[in-house]
Amino acid sequence: MISVLVDILSWIALTAGAAFYVIGAVGMTRMPDLFTRMHSVSVSDTMGVGLLCFGMILQAGPSLLAVKIAFVVLVLWATGAVATHALARAALHDGAKPLLAAPDGRLVPTDCVDLFPELGVRLAQPLASETPEEGETPLPDDGATIAEPAPGYGPAGNTGANPDAAPDPTREDR
Amino acid sequence: MMFSVAILGVLVALTLAVVRALKGPTAFDRLLAANAIGTSAIMLLALFGFMTGRPEFLDIGITYALLNMIGTLAVLKFFRYGALGHAQDPAKEREPE
Repeated sequence: MISVLVDILSWIALTAGAAFYVIGAVGMTRMPDLFTRMHSVSVSDTMGVGLLCFGMILQAGPSLLAVKIAFVVLVLWATGAVATHALARAALHDGAKPLLAAPDGRLVPTDCVDLFPELGVRLAQPLASETPEEGETPLPDDGATIAEPAPGYGPAGNTGANPDAAPDPTREDR
Repeated sequence: MMFSVAILGVLVALTLAVVRALKGPTAFDRLLAANAIGTSAIMLLALFGFMTGRPEFLDIGITYALLNMIGTLAVLKFFRYGALGHAQDPAKEREPE
């Protein structure tokens, strides 16, 4: 009796998850610009993945397998949001213009920096994770260090950094 | 049987994502499609493991899930700075047009 109930629930979850997945993918091929495509991919990345994994958890029963599937769902939910956010920010930074509705209803590429002036300020700033920490000397970045490995490049573990620069106090040789 | 239905849906979604990856006008579209393809591959691995009664495939899926976002972020950083693993120079930061 219980197993039949679990099977029915599992059927519903798996078919609904597959439907959400296909809907998100159809949106990804048919939406007009990058930002709306990202919006539709999030459908399959949240509801699709969540329902599919819920159906699989029901079939797995209380076991290590169920824990693993739950881990997959949590990782996908967390990383999907981060990756989408980074993608949107990189696209805006690159000058991509979202399609917005003009007063006559047509979709026009609109520079959203005009609409939201604070967005331009925020885009010009580096991300919080990219700003150097207090007390840390920022590594020099002058294209030359990328092109040719420095002569002192070797066992010191000072990978990529210019050896002539001031030693970075936060980078310990291990 | 229920897993076959779900696998069919994920395969259709995978095909549409491949279409977008081939068609995408900008690199960001292709990157979005690559991310979606990775997610679809994880779900395919898990569902296929369940369908054939060998759920050990899930471990591969977990690894792939962890690598997927790192790959996307690495490619994005490469687009923006032209290099990986170097601190940025704020003077060279591109302004949005």
